[in-house]
Amino acid sequence: MSALEIRNLRKAFGGLQVISDLDLKVPSGQRHAVIGPNGAGKTTLFNIITGWQPPTSGEILIQGVPAKQGRPDLVTRGGLSRSFQKNMLLESVTVLENLRVACQAFDASRRSIFQSCRSFTDVVRKARLAAEQMHLDTVLHRKVNELSYGQKRQLEVAIALCAEPKILLMDEPAAGTSPDERTSLIKLINGLSPELTILLVEHDMDVVFAICDIITVLSYGRVLATGTRDQIQSNPQVIQAYLGQRHA
Amino acid sequence: MSADVMLTSERRAGAMKPLPLPASRRAYAALLVTIGFGLCALPSFVSGYVMTLAVEVMIAGIFASGINLLTGYTGLVSLGQAMFLGFGGYGIAIGTALLGWPLWISAPVTLVVVAAIAAPIGAICTRTRGVEFLLITLAFSQMFYGAAIKLRWTNGSDGMTGIPRPDLSLLGMSADNPTVFYYYVLVVAVLSLLMLWRIVTSPFGSVLVGIRENERRMMSMGYAVANYKVGSFALAAVICAVAGILQSQYTYFVNPDAMSWQMSGEGVLMVIIGGANVILGPFVGAAVFVVVKQALSMITEEYNLFFGIFFMLVVAFFRGGVLGSISALIGKRQ
Repeated sequence: MSALEIRNLRKAFGGLQVISDLDLKVPSGQRHAVIGPNGAGKTTLFNIITGWQPPTSGEILIQGVPAKQGRPDLVTRGGLSRSFQKNMLLESVTVLENLRVACQAFDASRRSIFQSCRSFTDVVRKARLAAEQMHLDTVLHRKVNELSYGQKRQLEVAIALCAEPKILLMDEPAAGTSPDERTSLIKLINGLSPELTILLVEHDMDVVFAICDIITVLSYGRVLATGTRDQIQSNPQVIQAYLGQRHA
Repeated sequence: MSADVMLTSERRAGAMKPLPLPASRRAYAALLVTIGFGLCALPSFVSGYVMTLAVEVMIAGIFASGINLLTGYTGLVSLGQAMFLGFGGYGIAIGTALLGWPLWISAPVTLVVVAAIAAPIGAICTRTRGVEFLLITLAFSQMFYGAAIKLRWTNGSDGMTGIPRPDLSLLGMSADNPTVFYYYVLVVAVLSLLMLWRIVTSPFGSVLVGIRENERRMMSMGYAVANYKVGSFALAAVICAVAGILQSQYTYFVNPDAMSWQMSGEGVLMVIIGGANVILGPFVGAAVFVVVKQALSMITEEYNLFFGIFFMLVVAFFRGGVLGSISALIGKRQ
Protein backbone atom coordinates (compact mmCIF):
# COMPACT_ATOMS: atom_id res chain seq x y z
CA MET A 1 0.00 0.00 0.00
CA SER A 2 1.29 3.48 -0.89
CA ALA A 3 1.63 6.06 1.85
CA LEU A 4 0.06 8.57 -0.51
CA GLU A 5 -1.86 7.89 -3.67
CA ILE A 6 -3.44 10.42 -5.99
CA ARG A 7 -5.78 9.27 -8.73
CA ASN A 8 -7.02 11.30 -11.66
CA LEU A 9 -6.78 14.60 -9.82
CA ARG A 10 -8.15 17.70 -11.52
CA LYS A 11 -8.37 21.23 -10.27
CA ALA A 12 -9.75 24.21 -12.11
CA PHE A 13 -10.18 27.81 -10.96
CA GLY A 14 -13.02 28.97 -13.16
CA GLY A 15 -11.82 28.39 -16.71
CA LEU A 16 -8.20 27.93 -15.68
CA GLN A 17 -7.18 24.26 -15.45
CA VAL A 18 -4.40 24.19 -12.85
CA ILE A 19 -4.06 20.42 -12.42
CA SER A 20 -5.10 17.89 -15.08
CA ASP A 21 -5.43 14.11 -14.67
CA LEU A 22 -2.65 13.88 -12.15
CA ASP A 23 -1.68 10.45 -10.81
CA LEU A 24 0.96 10.02 -8.17
CA LYS A 25 2.02 7.15 -5.92
CA VAL A 26 4.42 7.67 -3.04
CA PRO A 27 5.41 4.45 -1.26
CA SER A 28 6.14 4.44 2.48
CA GLY A 29 9.55 5.83 3.38
CA GLN A 30 10.17 7.35 -0.03
CA ARG A 31 11.66 10.83 -0.40
CA HIS A 32 9.75 12.20 -3.33
CA ALA A 33 10.17 15.64 -4.89
CA VAL A 34 7.66 17.52 -7.00
CA ILE A 35 9.39 20.09 -9.17
CA GLY A 36 8.33 22.33 -12.00
CA PRO A 37 8.25 25.93 -13.15
CA ASN A 38 6.20 28.59 -11.36
CA GLY A 39 2.50 28.04 -11.97
CA ALA A 40 2.95 24.31 -12.58
CA GLY A 41 0.44 23.59 -9.80
CA LYS A 42 2.80 22.35 -7.07
CA THR A 43 1.45 24.40 -4.17
CA THR A 44 -2.13 23.86 -5.37
CA LEU A 45 -1.40 20.13 -5.30
CA PHE A 46 -0.18 20.45 -1.70
CA ASN A 47 -3.23 22.50 -0.74
CA ILE A 48 -5.54 19.86 -2.19
CA ILE A 49 -3.73 16.97 -0.51
CA THR A 50 -3.85 18.71 2.87
CA GLY A 51 -7.53 19.62 2.61
CA TRP A 52 -7.14 23.37 2.15
CA GLN A 53 -8.67 23.36 -1.31
CA PRO A 54 -11.21 20.91 -2.74
CA PRO A 55 -10.29 19.13 -5.97
CA THR A 56 -12.57 19.53 -8.97
CA SER A 57 -12.44 15.75 -9.32
CA GLY A 58 -10.20 12.85 -8.43
CA GLU A 59 -9.25 10.93 -5.35
CA ILE A 60 -6.56 11.24 -2.69
CA LEU A 61 -5.74 8.31 -0.44
CA ILE A 62 -3.61 8.83 2.64
CA GLN A 63 -2.43 5.42 3.85
CA GLY A 64 -5.29 3.90 1.89
CA VAL A 65 -7.95 6.16 3.44
CA PRO A 66 -9.67 8.90 1.40
CA ALA A 67 -8.49 12.35 2.56
CA LYS A 68 -11.04 14.57 4.33
CA GLN A 69 -11.68 17.51 2.05
CA GLY A 70 -12.13 20.88 3.72
CA ARG A 71 -10.78 19.62 7.06
CA PRO A 72 -7.02 20.19 7.23
CA ASP A 73 -7.12 19.28 10.93
CA LEU A 74 -8.45 15.80 10.12
CA VAL A 75 -5.86 15.34 7.36
CA THR A 76 -3.15 16.07 9.94
CA ARG A 77 -4.80 13.67 12.36
CA GLY A 78 -4.80 11.10 9.57
CA GLY A 79 -1.00 11.11 9.63
CA LEU A 80 -0.11 13.73 7.03
CA SER A 81 1.55 16.93 8.15
CA ARG A 82 2.94 19.87 6.18
CA SER A 83 5.23 22.84 6.36
CA PHE A 84 4.27 25.97 4.44
CA GLN A 85 5.97 27.89 1.64
CA LYS A 86 5.53 31.13 3.60
CA ASN A 87 6.16 30.85 7.33
CA MET A 88 2.95 30.16 9.22
CA LEU A 89 4.11 30.52 12.79
CA LEU A 90 2.71 31.87 16.03
CA GLU A 91 4.91 34.96 15.79
CA SER A 92 4.42 36.67 19.15
CA VAL A 93 5.01 33.61 21.33
CA THR A 94 8.19 31.67 21.99
CA VAL A 95 9.66 28.81 20.00
CA LEU A 96 8.88 26.44 22.88
CA GLU A 97 5.26 27.59 22.96
CA ASN A 98 4.90 27.03 19.21
CA LEU A 99 6.20 23.50 19.59
CA ARG A 100 4.28 22.83 22.79
CA VAL A 101 1.00 23.83 21.16
CA ALA A 102 1.86 21.66 18.16
CA CYS A 103 2.61 18.63 20.38
CA GLN A 104 -0.47 19.30 22.50
CA ALA A 105 -2.74 18.85 19.45
CA PHE A 106 -2.26 15.10 19.75
CA ASP A 107 -2.52 14.90 23.51
CA ALA A 108 -5.72 14.33 25.48
CA SER A 109 -4.92 17.51 27.40
CA ARG A 110 -5.71 19.73 24.42
CA ARG A 111 -9.28 20.43 25.60
CA SER A 112 -8.37 20.91 29.24
CA ILE A 113 -9.63 24.22 30.59
CA PHE A 114 -8.90 24.19 34.30
CA GLN A 115 -5.34 22.86 34.39
CA SER A 116 -2.18 24.76 33.60
CA CYS A 117 -0.24 23.93 30.43
CA ARG A 118 2.83 23.46 32.62
CA SER A 119 1.20 20.57 34.46
CA PHE A 120 1.27 18.49 31.26
CA THR A 121 5.00 17.78 31.46
CA ASP A 122 4.93 15.10 28.75
CA VAL A 123 3.80 17.65 26.19
CA VAL A 124 6.51 20.12 27.26
CA ARG A 125 9.10 17.32 27.10
CA LYS A 126 8.03 16.37 23.57
CA ALA A 127 8.22 20.02 22.51
CA ARG A 128 11.74 20.33 23.88
CA LEU A 129 12.79 17.14 22.13
CA ALA A 130 11.35 18.40 18.83
CA ALA A 131 13.33 21.62 19.30
CA GLU A 132 16.52 19.65 19.90
CA GLN A 133 15.88 17.50 16.87
CA MET A 134 15.75 20.61 14.65
CA HIS A 135 18.62 22.32 16.54
CA LEU A 136 16.35 24.99 17.98
CA ASP A 137 17.11 24.24 21.62
CA THR A 138 19.30 27.32 21.98
CA VAL A 139 16.44 29.65 21.05
CA LEU A 140 13.64 27.90 22.94
CA HIS A 141 12.60 30.94 24.94
CA ARG A 142 12.95 33.49 22.17
CA LYS A 143 9.88 34.87 20.50
CA VAL A 144 9.47 33.72 16.93
CA ASN A 145 9.57 37.27 15.57
CA GLU A 146 13.14 37.54 16.95
CA LEU A 147 14.43 34.50 15.00
CA SER A 148 16.47 34.52 11.81
CA TYR A 149 14.70 33.47 8.63
CA GLY A 150 16.58 30.17 8.55
CA GLN A 151 15.56 29.38 12.13
CA LYS A 152 11.96 30.13 11.23
CA ARG A 153 12.17 27.64 8.35
CA GLN A 154 13.55 25.06 10.77
CA LEU A 155 10.70 25.80 13.17
CA GLU A 156 8.21 25.29 10.31
CA VAL A 157 9.54 21.77 9.82
CA ALA A 158 9.77 21.14 13.58
CA ILE A 159 6.11 22.06 14.05
CA ALA A 160 5.11 19.70 11.26
CA LEU A 161 7.12 16.93 12.91
CA CYS A 162 5.38 17.44 16.26
CA ALA A 163 2.33 15.74 14.75
CA GLU A 164 4.49 12.59 14.49
CA PRO A 165 3.30 12.18 10.90
CA LYS A 166 3.69 9.17 8.65
CA ILE A 167 3.87 11.53 5.66
CA LEU A 168 5.52 14.95 5.67
CA LEU A 169 4.83 17.51 2.96
CA MET A 170 7.39 20.29 2.75
CA ASP A 171 6.65 23.30 0.57
CA GLU A 172 9.96 24.93 -0.38
CA PRO A 173 11.60 24.47 3.03
CA ALA A 174 14.87 26.05 1.84
CA ALA A 175 13.30 29.07 0.15
CA GLY A 176 15.02 32.31 1.19
CA THR A 177 17.69 30.62 3.32
CA SER A 178 21.43 31.30 3.14
CA PRO A 179 23.78 28.58 1.73
CA ASP A 180 24.86 27.63 5.28
CA GLU A 181 21.27 27.42 6.50
CA ARG A 182 20.39 25.33 3.43
CA THR A 183 23.21 22.86 4.12
CA SER A 184 22.11 22.62 7.74
CA LEU A 185 18.46 22.09 6.73
CA ILE A 186 19.39 19.32 4.28
CA LYS A 187 21.36 17.60 7.03
CA LEU A 188 18.44 17.87 9.43
CA ILE A 189 15.92 16.51 6.91
CA ASN A 190 18.21 13.65 5.94
CA GLY A 191 18.57 12.85 9.64
CA LEU A 192 14.82 12.23 10.03
CA SER A 193 13.51 8.68 10.49
CA PRO A 194 13.85 6.61 7.29
CA GLU A 195 10.28 5.38 7.86
CA LEU A 196 8.95 8.89 7.30
CA THR A 197 7.56 9.47 3.81
CA ILE A 198 8.51 12.90 2.47
CA LEU A 199 6.92 14.79 -0.39
CA LEU A 200 8.94 17.88 -1.17
CA VAL A 201 8.28 20.88 -3.38
CA GLU A 202 11.49 22.79 -4.00
CA HIS A 203 12.99 25.03 -6.67
CA ASP A 204 16.56 24.56 -5.51
CA MET A 205 17.70 21.46 -7.39
CA ASP A 206 20.73 20.96 -5.12
CA VAL A 207 18.31 20.55 -2.21
CA VAL A 208 16.10 18.20 -4.24
CA PHE A 209 19.02 16.02 -5.32
CA ALA A 210 20.43 15.96 -1.79
CA ILE A 211 17.18 14.77 -0.22
CA CYS A 212 15.01 12.90 -2.71
CA ASP A 213 15.16 9.47 -4.37
CA ILE A 214 12.34 10.01 -6.84
CA ILE A 215 11.35 13.18 -8.66
CA THR A 216 8.09 14.07 -10.38
CA VAL A 217 8.14 16.98 -12.78
CA LEU A 218 4.96 19.00 -13.22
CA SER A 219 4.32 21.32 -16.10
CA TYR A 220 1.05 23.19 -16.58
CA GLY A 221 -0.62 20.87 -14.06
CA ARG A 222 0.39 17.65 -15.82
CA VAL A 223 3.03 15.09 -14.91
CA LEU A 224 5.83 15.56 -17.41
CA ALA A 225 8.05 12.82 -16.03
CA THR A 226 8.67 10.72 -12.94
CA GLY A 227 11.94 8.98 -12.18
CA THR A 228 15.22 8.88 -10.37
CA ARG A 229 17.64 11.79 -10.35
CA ASP A 230 19.59 10.39 -13.33
CA GLN A 231 16.43 9.68 -15.33
CA ILE A 232 15.11 13.18 -14.71
CA GLN A 233 18.42 14.88 -15.43
CA SER A 234 18.70 13.13 -18.77
CA ASN A 235 15.08 13.62 -19.83
CA PRO A 236 15.11 16.07 -22.77
CA GLN A 237 11.54 17.24 -22.11
CA VAL A 238 12.41 18.10 -18.50
CA ILE A 239 15.60 19.85 -19.55
CA GLN A 240 13.64 21.93 -22.00
CA ALA A 241 10.70 22.69 -19.73
CA TYR A 242 12.45 23.27 -16.43
CA LEU A 243 15.98 22.18 -15.64
CA GLY A 244 17.97 23.83 -18.44
CA GLN A 245 21.55 22.73 -19.09
CA ARG A 246 23.00 23.51 -15.63
CA HIS A 247 21.43 20.52 -13.88
CA ALA A 248 21.38 18.23 -16.92
CA MET B 1 8.05 8.89 14.31
CA SER B 2 9.67 9.36 17.69
CA ALA B 3 11.57 12.51 18.49
CA ASP B 4 13.66 10.60 21.05
CA VAL B 5 15.76 8.94 18.35
CA MET B 6 18.43 11.57 18.05
CA LEU B 7 18.93 12.39 21.70
CA THR B 8 21.77 11.50 23.98
CA SER B 9 21.04 11.07 27.68
CA GLU B 10 22.90 14.32 28.50
CA ARG B 11 20.81 16.33 26.10
CA ARG B 12 17.67 14.70 27.45
CA ALA B 13 18.62 15.75 30.99
CA GLY B 14 19.18 19.31 29.78
CA ALA B 15 15.81 19.29 28.08
CA MET B 16 14.03 18.61 31.36
CA LYS B 17 15.39 21.66 33.24
CA PRO B 18 12.49 23.69 34.63
CA LEU B 19 11.81 27.13 33.23
CA PRO B 20 13.26 29.98 35.32
CA LEU B 21 10.66 32.29 36.85
CA PRO B 22 11.20 35.66 35.15
CA ALA B 23 11.72 38.73 37.34
CA SER B 24 8.77 40.40 35.61
CA ARG B 25 6.52 37.57 36.81
CA ARG B 26 7.72 37.99 40.39
CA ALA B 27 7.10 41.72 40.13
CA TYR B 28 3.65 41.00 38.73
CA ALA B 29 2.86 38.66 41.64
CA ALA B 30 4.05 41.28 44.15
CA LEU B 31 1.90 43.89 42.43
CA LEU B 32 -1.13 41.59 42.61
CA VAL B 33 -0.66 40.98 46.35
CA THR B 34 -0.33 44.74 46.95
CA ILE B 35 -3.46 45.47 44.94
CA GLY B 36 -5.29 42.68 46.80
CA PHE B 37 -4.42 44.14 50.21
CA GLY B 38 -5.28 47.62 48.97
CA LEU B 39 -8.71 46.51 47.76
CA CYS B 40 -9.46 44.66 51.01
CA ALA B 41 -8.56 47.70 53.05
CA LEU B 42 -10.23 50.23 50.74
CA PRO B 43 -13.57 50.64 52.62
CA SER B 44 -11.66 51.69 55.76
CA PHE B 45 -10.00 54.62 54.02
CA VAL B 46 -12.35 56.01 51.42
CA SER B 47 -15.73 57.67 51.20
CA GLY B 48 -18.91 55.93 50.07
CA TYR B 49 -18.61 57.66 46.70
CA VAL B 50 -15.18 56.17 46.00
CA MET B 51 -16.45 52.75 47.10
CA THR B 52 -19.32 53.11 44.65
CA LEU B 53 -16.82 53.88 41.91
CA ALA B 54 -14.77 50.85 42.95
CA VAL B 55 -17.85 48.61 42.65
CA GLU B 56 -18.56 50.03 39.19
CA VAL B 57 -14.94 49.47 38.17
CA MET B 58 -15.00 45.85 39.33
CA ILE B 59 -18.26 45.06 37.54
CA ALA B 60 -17.05 46.78 34.38
CA GLY B 61 -13.72 44.94 34.77
CA ILE B 62 -15.47 41.55 34.83
CA PHE B 63 -17.50 42.52 31.76
CA ALA B 64 -14.38 43.71 29.92
CA SER B 65 -12.55 40.52 30.96
CA GLY B 66 -15.19 38.51 29.13
CA ILE B 67 -14.60 40.67 26.06
CA ASN B 68 -10.85 40.26 26.53
CA LEU B 69 -11.10 36.46 26.38
CA LEU B 70 -12.76 36.77 22.99
CA THR B 71 -10.95 39.83 21.64
CA GLY B 72 -7.55 39.83 23.31
CA TYR B 73 -6.90 36.11 23.57
CA THR B 74 -8.85 34.65 20.64
CA GLY B 75 -8.54 37.63 18.29
CA LEU B 76 -12.29 37.96 17.66
CA VAL B 77 -13.37 41.58 18.04
CA SER B 78 -17.05 41.62 19.03
CA LEU B 79 -19.47 44.51 19.30
CA GLY B 80 -22.21 42.35 20.74
CA GLN B 81 -21.01 41.21 24.16
CA ALA B 82 -23.43 43.54 25.94
CA MET B 83 -26.23 41.16 24.94
CA PHE B 84 -24.77 38.69 27.42
CA LEU B 85 -24.46 41.41 30.05
CA GLY B 86 -28.17 41.94 29.49
CA PHE B 87 -28.92 38.22 29.52
CA GLY B 88 -27.22 38.00 32.92
CA GLY B 89 -29.29 40.86 34.29
CA TYR B 90 -32.56 39.68 32.76
CA GLY B 91 -31.86 36.07 33.72
CA ILE B 92 -31.49 36.88 37.37
CA ALA B 93 -34.48 39.25 37.20
CA ILE B 94 -36.72 36.63 35.59
CA GLY B 95 -35.51 33.93 38.01
CA THR B 96 -35.92 35.93 41.20
CA ALA B 97 -38.52 38.63 40.54
CA LEU B 98 -40.72 36.83 38.02
CA LEU B 99 -40.46 33.14 38.91
CA GLY B 100 -39.69 33.64 42.59
CA TRP B 101 -36.66 31.35 42.62
CA PRO B 102 -33.98 31.94 45.23
CA LEU B 103 -30.83 33.69 44.07
CA TRP B 104 -28.63 30.64 44.58
CA ILE B 105 -30.73 28.79 41.98
CA SER B 106 -31.37 31.72 39.64
CA ALA B 107 -27.69 32.68 39.27
CA PRO B 108 -26.30 29.29 38.15
CA VAL B 109 -29.37 28.61 35.98
CA THR B 110 -28.85 32.02 34.33
CA LEU B 111 -25.21 31.21 33.57
CA VAL B 112 -26.06 27.78 32.15
CA VAL B 113 -28.82 29.26 29.99
CA VAL B 114 -26.48 32.03 28.78
CA ALA B 115 -23.87 29.41 27.81
CA ALA B 116 -26.56 27.38 26.03
CA ILE B 117 -27.74 30.45 24.08
CA ALA B 118 -24.21 31.70 23.39
CA ALA B 119 -22.99 28.41 21.90
CA PRO B 120 -25.29 28.39 18.84
CA ILE B 121 -24.90 32.16 18.41
CA GLY B 122 -21.14 31.63 18.56
CA ALA B 123 -21.36 28.76 16.08
CA ILE B 124 -22.99 31.13 13.60
CA CYS B 125 -20.85 34.20 14.33
CA THR B 126 -17.50 32.39 14.31
CA ARG B 127 -18.08 31.23 10.76
CA THR B 128 -17.11 34.79 9.90
CA ARG B 129 -14.02 36.79 10.80
CA GLY B 130 -12.76 40.36 11.02
CA VAL B 131 -15.27 43.08 10.22
CA GLU B 132 -17.93 40.50 9.34
CA PHE B 133 -17.64 38.98 12.82
CA LEU B 134 -17.89 42.41 14.39
CA LEU B 135 -21.03 43.20 12.39
CA ILE B 136 -22.78 39.88 12.93
CA THR B 137 -22.25 40.09 16.71
CA LEU B 138 -23.58 43.65 16.58
CA ALA B 139 -26.59 42.42 14.62
CA PHE B 140 -27.37 39.69 17.15
CA SER B 141 -26.97 42.17 19.99
CA GLN B 142 -29.32 44.69 18.36
CA MET B 143 -31.83 41.93 17.67
CA PHE B 144 -32.04 40.99 21.36
CA TYR B 145 -31.95 44.67 22.37
CA GLY B 146 -34.97 45.27 20.12
CA ALA B 147 -36.72 42.21 21.54
CA ALA B 148 -36.09 43.35 25.13
CA ILE B 149 -37.66 46.74 24.34
CA LYS B 150 -40.78 45.08 22.91
CA LEU B 151 -41.27 42.21 25.37
CA ARG B 152 -44.18 43.01 27.68
CA TRP B 153 -43.51 40.30 30.29
CA THR B 154 -40.13 41.91 31.01
CA ASN B 155 -41.73 45.38 31.06
CA GLY B 156 -40.29 46.42 27.70
CA SER B 157 -38.10 49.52 27.78
CA ASP B 158 -39.03 50.16 31.43
CA GLY B 159 -37.05 47.11 32.46
CA MET B 160 -37.41 44.96 35.57
CA THR B 161 -36.97 45.95 39.18
CA GLY B 162 -36.80 44.18 42.53
CA ILE B 163 -33.64 42.19 41.80
CA PRO B 164 -32.35 40.99 45.16
CA ARG B 165 -28.83 41.06 46.48
CA PRO B 166 -27.51 37.88 48.12
CA ASP B 167 -28.95 36.94 51.48
CA LEU B 168 -26.02 37.07 53.91
CA SER B 169 -28.11 36.97 57.11
CA LEU B 170 -26.39 33.71 58.08
CA LEU B 171 -23.18 35.72 58.35
CA GLY B 172 -25.01 38.43 60.25
CA MET B 173 -24.65 40.87 57.36
CA SER B 174 -26.85 42.52 54.78
CA ALA B 175 -25.69 42.91 51.18
CA ASP B 176 -27.76 46.09 51.03
CA ASN B 177 -24.99 47.65 53.09
CA PRO B 178 -22.59 49.31 50.57
CA THR B 179 -19.47 47.98 52.31
CA VAL B 180 -20.80 44.42 52.39
CA PHE B 181 -21.86 44.66 48.76
CA TYR B 182 -18.38 45.97 47.89
CA TYR B 183 -16.79 42.88 49.43
CA TYR B 184 -19.33 40.62 47.71
CA VAL B 185 -18.43 42.14 44.32
CA LEU B 186 -14.73 41.95 45.19
CA VAL B 187 -15.02 38.22 45.94
CA VAL B 188 -16.88 37.57 42.68
CA ALA B 189 -14.34 39.69 40.75
CA VAL B 190 -11.40 37.78 42.25
CA LEU B 191 -13.07 34.42 41.53
CA SER B 192 -13.81 35.51 37.95
CA LEU B 193 -10.21 36.63 37.51
CA LEU B 194 -8.87 33.37 38.89
CA MET B 195 -11.14 31.40 36.58
CA LEU B 196 -10.07 33.49 33.61
CA TRP B 197 -6.41 33.15 34.56
CA ARG B 198 -6.83 29.39 34.75
CA ILE B 199 -8.53 29.33 31.35
CA VAL B 200 -5.89 31.41 29.56
CA THR B 201 -3.00 29.46 31.06
CA SER B 202 -4.63 26.12 30.22
CA PRO B 203 -4.09 24.09 27.02
CA PHE B 204 -7.47 25.39 25.84
CA GLY B 205 -6.28 28.98 26.39
CA SER B 206 -3.04 28.34 24.52
CA VAL B 207 -5.09 27.13 21.54
CA LEU B 208 -7.10 30.37 21.66
CA VAL B 209 -3.87 32.38 21.54
CA GLY B 210 -2.71 30.21 18.64
CA ILE B 211 -5.94 30.94 16.78
CA ARG B 212 -5.40 34.66 17.32
CA GLU B 213 -1.83 34.37 16.04
CA ASN B 214 -2.41 32.13 13.05
CA GLU B 215 -5.66 30.28 12.54
CA ARG B 216 -4.45 28.39 9.46
CA ARG B 217 -1.42 27.09 11.31
CA MET B 218 -3.61 25.86 14.16
CA MET B 219 -5.82 23.96 11.72
CA SER B 220 -2.75 22.54 10.11
CA MET B 221 -1.51 21.39 13.52
CA GLY B 222 -4.67 19.31 13.84
CA TYR B 223 -6.97 21.53 15.87
CA ALA B 224 -10.69 21.75 15.09
CA VAL B 225 -10.47 25.53 15.31
CA ALA B 226 -14.22 26.16 14.93
CA ASN B 227 -14.99 24.25 18.14
CA TYR B 228 -12.45 26.23 20.14
CA LYS B 229 -13.82 29.52 18.86
CA VAL B 230 -17.34 28.54 19.87
CA GLY B 231 -16.00 27.48 23.28
CA SER B 232 -14.28 30.83 23.70
CA PHE B 233 -17.45 32.66 22.64
CA ALA B 234 -19.58 30.77 25.18
CA LEU B 235 -17.08 31.22 28.03
CA ALA B 236 -16.76 34.93 27.27
CA ALA B 237 -20.56 35.17 27.29
CA VAL B 238 -20.75 33.53 30.72
CA ILE B 239 -18.18 35.95 32.15
CA CYS B 240 -20.13 38.91 30.71
CA ALA B 241 -23.31 37.44 32.22
CA VAL B 242 -21.65 37.32 35.66
CA ALA B 243 -21.04 41.07 35.28
CA GLY B 244 -24.68 41.47 34.20
CA ILE B 245 -25.91 39.71 37.33
CA LEU B 246 -23.76 41.93 39.56
CA GLN B 247 -24.79 45.07 37.67
CA SER B 248 -28.49 44.31 38.12
CA GLN B 249 -27.96 43.53 41.81
CA TYR B 250 -26.00 46.74 42.21
CA THR B 251 -28.83 48.86 40.78
CA TYR B 252 -31.68 46.45 41.79
CA PHE B 253 -32.77 46.95 38.22
CA VAL B 254 -32.19 45.91 34.61
CA ASN B 255 -33.41 47.46 31.38
CA PRO B 256 -32.64 47.00 27.65
CA ASP B 257 -29.88 49.64 27.79
CA ALA B 258 -27.67 46.95 29.33
CA MET B 259 -27.70 45.28 25.89
CA SER B 260 -27.02 48.38 23.83
CA TRP B 261 -24.15 48.49 21.37
CA GLN B 262 -22.73 51.48 23.26
CA MET B 263 -22.24 49.16 26.24
CA SER B 264 -20.37 46.68 24.04
CA GLY B 265 -18.30 49.51 22.62
CA GLU B 266 -17.38 50.75 26.08
CA GLY B 267 -16.26 47.24 27.02
CA VAL B 268 -14.00 47.08 23.96
CA LEU B 269 -12.59 50.52 24.86
CA MET B 270 -11.76 49.29 28.37
CA VAL B 271 -9.90 46.31 26.90
CA ILE B 272 -7.94 48.54 24.53
CA ILE B 273 -7.12 51.09 27.25
CA GLY B 274 -6.04 48.50 29.82
CA GLY B 275 -4.33 46.10 27.46
CA ALA B 276 -5.70 43.22 25.45
CA ASN B 277 -4.43 39.73 26.21
CA VAL B 278 -3.18 40.85 29.63
CA ILE B 279 -5.25 39.26 32.38
CA LEU B 280 -5.52 42.44 34.51
CA GLY B 281 -5.75 44.73 31.47
CA PRO B 282 -9.55 44.97 31.42
CA PHE B 283 -9.68 45.89 35.12
CA VAL B 284 -7.07 48.60 34.63
CA GLY B 285 -8.96 49.73 31.53
CA ALA B 286 -12.23 49.76 33.47
CA ALA B 287 -10.63 51.78 36.28
CA VAL B 288 -9.18 54.34 33.86
CA PHE B 289 -12.44 54.47 31.90
CA VAL B 290 -14.73 54.95 34.91
CA VAL B 291 -12.46 57.37 36.78
CA VAL B 292 -11.55 59.55 33.77
CA LYS B 293 -15.16 59.66 32.63
CA GLN B 294 -16.32 60.65 36.14
CA ALA B 295 -13.60 63.28 36.46
CA LEU B 296 -14.33 64.78 33.04
CA SER B 297 -18.07 64.78 33.66
CA MET B 298 -17.48 66.88 36.79
CA ILE B 299 -15.55 69.44 34.76
CA THR B 300 -17.68 69.72 31.63
CA GLU B 301 -20.93 68.51 30.17
CA GLU B 302 -19.08 67.82 26.90
CA TYR B 303 -17.00 65.18 28.60
CA ASN B 304 -17.46 62.70 25.72
CA LEU B 305 -15.45 65.00 23.44
CA PHE B 306 -12.54 65.10 25.87
CA PHE B 307 -12.85 61.41 26.58
CA GLY B 308 -12.50 60.79 22.84
CA ILE B 309 -9.27 62.83 22.83
CA PHE B 310 -8.06 60.91 25.88
CA PHE B 311 -8.79 57.60 24.16
CA MET B 312 -6.90 58.68 21.05
CA LEU B 313 -3.87 59.62 23.17
CA VAL B 314 -3.93 56.21 24.88
CA VAL B 315 -4.09 54.42 21.53
CA ALA B 316 -1.31 56.60 20.08
CA PHE B 317 1.12 56.48 23.00
CA PHE B 318 0.22 53.26 24.85
CA ARG B 319 0.16 50.65 22.14
CA GLY B 320 -0.91 47.46 23.82
CA GLY B 321 -2.78 49.49 26.44
CA VAL B 322 -1.56 50.71 29.81
CA LEU B 323 -0.53 47.29 31.15
CA GLY B 324 0.74 46.07 27.80
CA SER B 325 3.03 49.12 27.56
CA ILE B 326 4.30 48.65 31.11
CA SER B 327 5.00 44.95 30.44
CA ALA B 328 6.85 45.84 27.24
CA LEU B 329 8.90 48.45 29.12
CA ILE B 330 9.86 45.95 31.83
CA GLY B 331 10.72 43.40 29.12
CA LYS B 332 13.02 45.91 27.36
CA ARG B 333 14.84 46.83 30.56
CA GLN B 334 15.43 43.15 31.32
